[in-house]
Amino acid sequence: MPLQQWIPQMAEGCVLTIKLFLITALFSVPLGLVFTFLYTTKNKLINKIVGLYILIMRGTPLLLQIFFVYFGLPYVPVIGEYLTINDRFTAGAVAFILNYAAYFAEIFRGGLLSVDKGQYEAAKVLGMTDMQTRFKIVLPQMFRIALPSVSNEAIVLIKDTALITAIGLTDLLKVTQTIVNRTTNISAFAVAALFYLVMSYVLTVFFKFLEKKFSF
Amino acid sequence: MSLMQINNLKKSFGNLEVLKDISLTVEKGDVIAVLGPSGSGKSTFLRSLIDLETVDGGDIIIEGKPLCQGGKYIPMKERKQVLDKMGMVFQHFNLFPHMNIEKNLLVAPLCAKQADKDSLKEEAKKVLDKVGLLDKLNDMPSTLSGGQKQRVAIARALMRNPDILLFDEPTSALDPELTGEVLNVIKELSDEKMTMLIVTHEIGFAHEAANKILFMDGGYVLAFGTPQEVLDNSGNPRIEAFLNKVL
Ligand SMILES: Nc1ncnc2c1ncn2[C@@H]1O[C@H](COP(=O)(O)OP(=O)(O)OP(=O)(O)O)[C@@H](O)[C@H]1O
Ligand SMILES: [Mg+2]
Repeated sequence: MPLQQWIPQMAEGCVLTIKLFLITALFSVPLGLVFTFLYTTKNKLINKIVGLYILIMRGTPLLLQIFFVYFGLPYVPVIGEYLTINDRFTAGAVAFILNYAAYFAEIFRGGLLSVDKGQYEAAKVLGMTDMQTRFKIVLPQMFRIALPSVSNEAIVLIKDTALITAIGLTDLLKVTQTIVNRTTNISAFAVAALFYLVMSYVLTVFFKFLEKKFSF
Repeated sequence: MSLMQINNLKKSFGNLEVLKDISLTVEKGDVIAVLGPSGSGKSTFLRSLIDLETVDGGDIIIEGKPLCQGGKYIPMKERKQVLDKMGMVFQHFNLFPHMNIEKNLLVAPLCAKQADKDSLKEEAKKVLDKVGLLDKLNDMPSTLSGGQKQRVAIARALMRNPDILLFDEPTSALDPELTGEVLNVIKELSDEKMTMLIVTHEIGFAHEAANKILFMDGGYVLAFGTPQEVLDNSGNPRIEAFLNKVL
C-alpha cells in the first residue's frame, strides 16, 4: 500500500486523537479548578475527600482507570447499573477527564499558593469582597503562574490519548499499527511520530503565545 | 468628635503578647508618625485598625462607629461600611501585577459601584496627576521603579476618597534615592489636611511632616506628643537609645 493511501487513513485516526484531546481539555480544566477550590476551602472533610481523590487519580495508571470506567463501573454494587457507560469513546473520555482534572487541580493549587498574600490584603483594604478578589485578582494571577505547567500537561495529554486504543478505539496509533501489520513496512511509525510531533508543536506555539500575551 | 478613638488594644499571636495596652485618639488632620524598635508591634497595631488583624481586647471607633468594642467585633457585613473611609499603603506596594496602572486604580471602585466608569476614569487621571504619574496610565506595574510603584499605590488608595490613610513603612523597600519622591507625596497630602498614620524609620521626615509622634515599645505606648516633646527632649533613655541607633 503506497504512502498516499496511508496519510488519509492516519489523518482520520488523528481526528479521534484530537477529539479526545479537546474534550478532555475542555472539561478537565474547569473540573480541576473546582477541585482546587474544594481542596482549599476551610472544610476539613471536603479537603480530605478531594485529597484522597487526587491521590488515587495520580497514584494509579491512567490505563487502569480507563479499564475501570469501561469494564469495571457496571460491577459497582447497587449503583453499578446507573454508572454503566456503553459508548467506548465516552467511557474513555470520562476516565481522561477525571484523571487530568486531578493533575490540573494540583497545578492550580500550586499557582494559588504562589499568589502573594499582599494581593489579598490590598484587595481587602480597597473594599473588595472575597468573591471579587478571587475572580479579579487571584484567578488571573494563578492562571498565569500555572500556564507553563498546563502547557506541559497538554503535551503529555496529546500523547496519552493513545491509551484509548486499549478499549478498542481506533486512533492515530491504532491506524498506524494496522498499516504496519498489513504492509510489513515500519515507516508508517515514522509518519505517526511526525503527526504527534506536529500536534505537540502546535500546542507549544499556542502556549508560548498565551504566555507572552498574559505576561506581566 | 475625634476621627478615631482607640482604647486599650490587646493582641497576642499564640503566647506572644504583641499589643499589651495601646490607646490613641486621632483628630482630623493629624499626621501621626509611629516609631519604635523592630518587633514593638507597629505593623500589628496599624493592621488591626483596618481589620487585617483581629485584636483580642479593646475598642476601635472610627468616625463614631465602632469596629470593635471590648474585643467584640461588629458583624462582617457591617465592617466594610465602617472601614469605607480608610485606606492603607503597604511596604511592598502590592499593586496588582496583571493590570495596568489605570486598571489598578479602577478595579476596586468599579467593583463597589462607587461611581460610573467615565467619572472614575476622570478621577483616576486626577489622582495619578497628583502623584506625578499621569503619563504611566497605560503602563504595567512591572515597568515602574519602586518609587513610582509606591506613588501609584498611594493614588490607588486615594481613589476611595479616604478620610484616614495608613502607611506601613512606605519607603523601607525603596532605594535611598527613591524615598524622597514618595515622602514628598505624603507631605503634599498632609498639606491638604489628610489624616494619616505612618509607620516609618525616617526620623527626619517624621520630625518635619508629622504633628504627633507615637512611640511604641514592647506592645505599649511609650510616648505620644509633638515631635519636639518626643524626639528632641523626651528624657526617656529607651527613646534616646532608639534614636541613636537609627540616626
Ligand atoms: N502573623 C503573625 N504570627 C505570629 N507572630 C507575628 C505575626 N505577625 C507579627 N508577629 C510577631 O509580632 C511581633 C510584632 O510584630 P510587628 O510586625 O507588629 O512589629 P513591628 O513593630 O512592625 O516591627 P518592624 O519594625 O520589624 O516592622 C513580632 O515579634 C512578630 O514576630
Ligand atoms: Mg512592621
